[in-house]
Amino acid sequence: MLETGPNACIIGPDDLILITGATGFIGSRLVKTLQDRGFRNLRCFTRASSKVPRVKALAAGFGHQARVEVFRGNLLSREDCAAAAKGAVVVFHLAAGRGEKSYPEAFLNSVVTTRNLLDAVLQHGSLKRFVNVSSFTVYSNTDKPQRGLLTEMCPVEAHPELRGEAYCFAKVKQDKIVTEYGSKYRLPYVIVRPGYVLGPGKKNITGRVGIGTFGVFLHLGGSNEIPFTYVDNCADAIALAGLTPGIDSEVFNVVDDDLPSSRHFLRLYKRKVNRFRSLYIPHCISYALCYLWERYSSWSAGQLPPVFNRKEWHCHWKRTRYSNAKLKTRVGWRPRVPMADGLERYFTGCRGGEAHA
Amino acid sequence: MLKVAIVGCGKIADSHAMQIQRIKDCEIVGVCDREPLMARQLYERFPVKSYFSHLTQLLDEARPDVVHITTPPESHFGIAKVCLERGCHVYAEKPFTINEEEARGLIALANERKRKITVGHDDQFSHVARRMRTLVQSGFLGDGPIHMESYYCYELGRTGYAGSLLDDQHHWVRRLPGQLLHNTISHGIARIAEFLTSDSPRVMAYGFVSPVLKAMGESEIIDELRVIIHEEEGATAYFTFSSQMRPSLHKFRVYGPKNGLVVDQDQETLIKLRGPTHISYAEKFIPPVTMAEQYLGNLVTNVRTFLARDFQMKAGMKHLIERFYHSILADTPEPIPHREILLTARIMDAIFAQLNKKQSQVEARDCVPLHSELTGRGLQI
Repeated sequence: MLETGPNACIIGPDDLILITGATGFIGSRLVKTLQDRGFRNLRCFTRASSKVPRVKALAAGFGHQARVEVFRGNLLSREDCAAAAKGAVVVFHLAAGRGEKSYPEAFLNSVVTTRNLLDAVLQHGSLKRFVNVSSFTVYSNTDKPQRGLLTEMCPVEAHPELRGEAYCFAKVKQDKIVTEYGSKYRLPYVIVRPGYVLGPGKKNITGRVGIGTFGVFLHLGGSNEIPFTYVDNCADAIALAGLTPGIDSEVFNVVDDDLPSSRHFLRLYKRKVNRFRSLYIPHCISYALCYLWERYSSWSAGQLPPVFNRKEWHCHWKRTRYSNAKLKTRVGWRPRVPMADGLERYFTGCRGGEAHA
Repeated sequence: MLKVAIVGCGKIADSHAMQIQRIKDCEIVGVCDREPLMARQLYERFPVKSYFSHLTQLLDEARPDVVHITTPPESHFGIAKVCLERGCHVYAEKPFTINEEEARGLIALANERKRKITVGHDDQFSHVARRMRTLVQSGFLGDGPIHMESYYCYELGRTGYAGSLLDDQHHWVRRLPGQLLHNTISHGIARIAEFLTSDSPRVMAYGFVSPVLKAMGESEIIDELRVIIHEEEGATAYFTFSSQMRPSLHKFRVYGPKNGLVVDQDQETLIKLRGPTHISYAEKFIPPVTMAEQYLGNLVTNVRTFLARDFQMKAGMKHLIERFYHSILADTPEPIPHREILLTARIMDAIFAQLNKKQSQVEARDCVPLHSELTGRGLQI
């Protein structure tokens, strides 16, 4: 069952694996991926309030020999973390504060929770790898030329507090605390940074393509490549990052092959999901608008929140190319769902529910 | 230069730090949270001199003149007491304390130590609320209010604060005597308390868990509340809190013997309601025109305030803090009278006492008719 043989995997099939955020969009796929790879001892950390059907689906998804423990708790509780981490050999840490506009809340639910979990795994001493799931949003992208290649070597945002994005701030700080624990306590870790993860269940169009905030959909991506990764491919990458030997302290970006341009994606979305009006904003205009918004926000002491600014533009709308070369060469990852199929499944999922432009 | 400290570095502390920055002649000398990471993140994002994880360390080393308390309400009393005893002035976020007894204790201590103390009822210092107060003080209503209606709603969703509350059975809000209501309604109750003349109005409260929350499996969090407040020989008031009604209002209506006023907190509009009516069909045609004129006037005012860069979402907080600091420096009365703080706490105590009593009764019965709940059970406070 193990695709990676015993020599190519840091743990055995019966070693305990802890997955936080296990009922989430990526987490539930990761659980299945690990099952498919023959791991039989999984502990799924879910919030106390996680929807019962999702939790049941986790447990039911495992057949015959697998032992699946659903651990309901709160990562803000050190006691819960200690109990959940007991005996865990690999930890996949996917839980994070998403969709929060408040900096303290995003920070609390990403950084404080991560610190609690790190302390818990150190306390037990059984850990062989801590996989921290991060995001592309942490990259600064500011000093790179247009159409430059975004790789794992690119600098992380030095002043995430100026990005106007609570999620970015929290993720930068989360990555930082993991690396600090790595150097201070010799904690074996790997950081995985997926691009925009899509698949059935995701309904939104990524902000890298455009935004619908102002009544009409503003298409900002233009000819930019959009760093998509299909959820199953992403789960594979995360699993391999947790299992492959010899990659401690490494960072891996996750994007699929054959990335579509923003324009191509939007055309497909309109054709396959729903039609709506969009207005293309050329890059020079979107940059100027972000600059003006940033200046006004500062001049008016936050009368308009600084959600659009040049740092944000560089991260989301600057022409950038993406690479998955490191992931392929170091852990042997290959996207098993081709981009065309992944997009088709995503569009089908969007048609099944309310689509948001 | 007034030295300011913030204790508690959660969501609302951001608003405090942001508004304090806008006020002249003050500086944030320290922030404190028992979770050092939280204290540090606030320190890193704002011009703050130092951060601490122990209150006494903050008071010893940063030596603030004023302490803003932005921790969960159950800790307000203890923290405020220490700060007052150490000679600091105190601005406590709402709700001021857990109950009236604690509120009374803090105010007594502040008076004894000759320190200033206030509560974060900043909605009452928004532009529109201040315009309303000016009109009332000028006698627009004719005399004191006869009746008031205060709406303070809160949309509950699965994200943010509400989501974490619904998700977490150990959330600090659940430990409050009035749970969700305790942490949200004081703004709306304080609006009424401001205009009450009696210290012991009658309070009749009815609350229940909305069907939407019940469908989510929630059985404890009361998210629908209706209150009648009545003072002998004085004004009456209705208070409504709802998580489900739309629009989700933050509105205050006040009617005097001569005229009335309507304040919409969300739209920042103040509408005058004329007492006298026009003759015959003129009543059908003239008021819509004068209403349109008033709304247009509100628009102009709002645009002017925006252009003057004083229309931040928490502009009311800035004005309240500014007035509080002025009261410290000039040794004048605080912007919110102590009596109003105590009366707000007393009304809230009465509401929660009735809800908790009814909750236990409702558990013993399948259904309680609204009528029987509202009659004869008013609590004189």
